[in-house]
Amino acid sequence: MQVLNAKGRANPTYNKTVILGPSPRITIGGGWDLTCSGSGPPGLTPPSTYDIEILETFMTAETAKQFEALEAQATGIMRVFTGAGFEAVSPAMIQPAGVFLDVIGEALRARTYVFTDPDGDELCLRPDLTVPTCRLHLERNAAPETPARYCYNGEAFRFQPQSADTAHPREFRQAGIESFGEPDLEHAEAETVATIIAALKSAGLNDFRLRFGDLGMFRALLRSVDIPERWRLRLRHHFWRPDAFRTELQRLTEAPAGLMKSIPADLQVALNPDDAEASEAAVQTYFEAEGIEIIGVRPVKEITANLLAKVADARAEPLSQTTSRVIERYISLQAPADTAATVIKDLAREEGVDVADALQTYQRRLELLRRAGVDTAQAGFSAEFGRSLEYYTGFVFEVYMPNASTLSPLAGGGRYDSLLKAVGAPIDVPAVGAAIHTERLLAAVSGAGR
Amino acid sequence: MSITDVSDRLILAVPSKGRLMEQTIEMLGNAGLELRKTGHARGYRGEIVGLDMVDVAFVSASEIAWNLKTGRAHLGVTGEDLVREQMTDADARVEFIHKLGFGHADVVVAVPASWLDVRTMSNLDAIAGSFRREHGRWVRVATKYLNLTRAFFAAHGVSDYRIVESLGATEGTPLAGTADLIVDITSTGATLVANGLRILDDGVILKSEANLIASNAAAWHTPQREAKRIITSALRGAVV
Repeated sequence: MQVLNAKGRANPTYNKTVILGPSPRITIGGGWDLTCSGSGPPGLTPPSTYDIEILETFMTAETAKQFEALEAQATGIMRVFTGAGFEAVSPAMIQPAGVFLDVIGEALRARTYVFTDPDGDELCLRPDLTVPTCRLHLERNAAPETPARYCYNGEAFRFQPQSADTAHPREFRQAGIESFGEPDLEHAEAETVATIIAALKSAGLNDFRLRFGDLGMFRALLRSVDIPERWRLRLRHHFWRPDAFRTELQRLTEAPAGLMKSIPADLQVALNPDDAEASEAAVQTYFEAEGIEIIGVRPVKEITANLLAKVADARAEPLSQTTSRVIERYISLQAPADTAATVIKDLAREEGVDVADALQTYQRRLELLRRAGVDTAQAGFSAEFGRSLEYYTGFVFEVYMPNASTLSPLAGGGRYDSLLKAVGAPIDVPAVGAAIHTERLLAAVSGAGR
Repeated sequence: MSITDVSDRLILAVPSKGRLMEQTIEMLGNAGLELRKTGHARGYRGEIVGLDMVDVAFVSASEIAWNLKTGRAHLGVTGEDLVREQMTDADARVEFIHKLGFGHADVVVAVPASWLDVRTMSNLDAIAGSFRREHGRWVRVATKYLNLTRAFFAAHGVSDYRIVESLGATEGTPLAGTADLIVDITSTGATLVANGLRILDDGVILKSEANLIASNAAAWHTPQREAKRIITSALRGAVV
C-alpha cells in the first residue's frame, strides 16, 4: 500500500473500460491507480489531456513478486524464531477495541481502525501484535506468570495521514517474538535482541546499528536523588515527552511558589497540608459559599488532596540546582553501549548519587548480549531513548540502518512488565518482546530505500 | 446548456437550514449575490442570480466539509471547527478564503466547576494518572470533536484519557455521569455554567466562525476560477 500526494498534468492512455465520473480511477499499470478529478462527465468522449490531481494512490496489494518475496522472508524469519524455542501463534486480526484502547490510550486510538459491528460491539483492526499475543497468553494460562515464548508474523493496521511516506504504510507485516514470565530479566532481554538479530541476518541484513535505552537506569537515578515522591512520579510520567519533562523540571527548580496562584485566594489560607480534615471542610464551605455543585465521581476528599499537594509543593524547597543538573546530565547522555556504564559511573560519582545496582544490571545484560553473539561494539546507548508506545518499562532497543535517510527503525522492542496486567492479568508479569517491520527490512536488503 | 458545460460549473455548497443558512443568504445578499432556490421550494438546489456558471447546493453544515474535502463542491460556507475536525490536514486540502463574521463558536475544554485543582491542561494531565488509580478507569472526555480533541490534548502532553463520542447534549454528560469533562462549542458560555462546568484557563481549542472555503480537490478550470474570482471579490467588498 502506498500513498502518493501529487498534483500535475498527465496524459493517460484513453481506456474504454474506464468509467469517467466526478472522480474516475484510471489504471496506469504496475499496480497503480490514479484517482483524478477534472474529467468529462459520463458518456462523453474524454478530452485528450486531463487536468489530473493525484489525490490518493493506494497499492491495495503488492505485486505478486513483492508478495512472494515478503512471504519467503517471513518463512526464514519464523524458522529462526521457532528454532530459538518460540512457539508460532496467529492471534486474531479483529480485536475488541476496549482492551486495546485501555492499553494504548487515545494517541494510538487516533491511528487505529475502530468500528462497530452489527451487534453494536466496538472492535478494531489490531494496530500491533503484542497486545493480541498478551490476550492469547492470558486465555491459555490461568496463571499468567506461566513462562511462555511466542512468535508471530502477521499484518497490523495503522491510519497514516496523507502526507505519510512509504516507510509508514497503513497495512504492514510485523514479525515478532514475546517472552512472558521469564524471571531472569537480563537473560530474556539478551535473548530477545539476539533472536531478532539472527532473524534480520537470515533475511540478508548484515550492515546495521543498534540503539539501547534503559528506563530502569532512569528510575534508579530518580530514586537516588532527594526529592518528594510525588515529584518523582511526575518526572517519570513526563519522561516520554521531552518538552513537558524539561518544563516540569524547570518549574520544580525555579518557583514552586507560583503554584498557589491557581488556588482561589479565600482557600489558600484555609488549606493546611497537616490537617486534611479541616482542609476538606474548608473546601466544602467554599463550594457552598460559591454555589458550586459537585459534579461527577471526584469527591471533595480527592480534590482537597490534590489542592494540598499543590500547597505542599509551593511550600517545599525548590528542586536543588545540583539535582536538576544530575537529571539533565543523565538525560542528555549518549555513549557507545560498551563504555556507557563507565560514563554513567563517573557521572554518579561526580554528582554523589548511587545507581550501582542499575549499573550492575546494565553490565550483566551487556555481557549476556555478547555471549549470545551480539556485537555490542555496533551499539549505542541513549538515556533519552524511549518509545512512542508508553508501555515499555525497562530495557528498550532498536535496529536501524547506518546510513538511513529515514529514522524509522527496522526492528525494535523492549521490556513491558505492566502490559499483561493492563490486558487483564491480576498481577504484573515479566514480559519482553520485539518486532521486525518486514516491509522495511525487505526494502533494506533489496537495496531500495537507501 | 450543453453537457460539456457541466464540468465547467462551479458548485457552491451552503448550509441547508437554520440560522447558518439565513445568515449565509443575508451575507451573500449584502455582497450583491442574490441566492435563489431553483425547482421545488423545499429542494436543495439553487443559483446565484446573474452568475450562470454557479450551481448552489444546499447541504447540511457538517457535510459541507466532506464536499470540500472530496472536491464535490468548489466553494463552501461552513464553520472552521467542522472543517478542521473532518480533515486532519485541513490546510493542505482546502483554502480558508474569508472569515464571514457570523456563526461564532469557540471549541473549548470544560471541566466540572468543582474541580478546583484543575485550571489548566497541565493540571488535567496531572490528575489524569491519579484518576485512573482512584477510579479504576481513564478520565472520560465527551465530545463530537474527536480529532480536534486528540490533537489538542496531544499538543499539551495529555495522554491518559478516553474519548466518549457524544452527538448531542454534550454539556450534560458530566452531570449524567457518562463523562468527566467535555470538549464542545460554546458561544456565550451560559450553557456550560448552567451545567456546572468551567472552561480551562488555556482550554480554548479553536475560535471558530463561518468561513468561505475553497476545495483544493475540486476541478478548477478557467470558468470555475473566474466564478471564484467574482464571488470572492464581491465578498471582499462586503465583509469587513
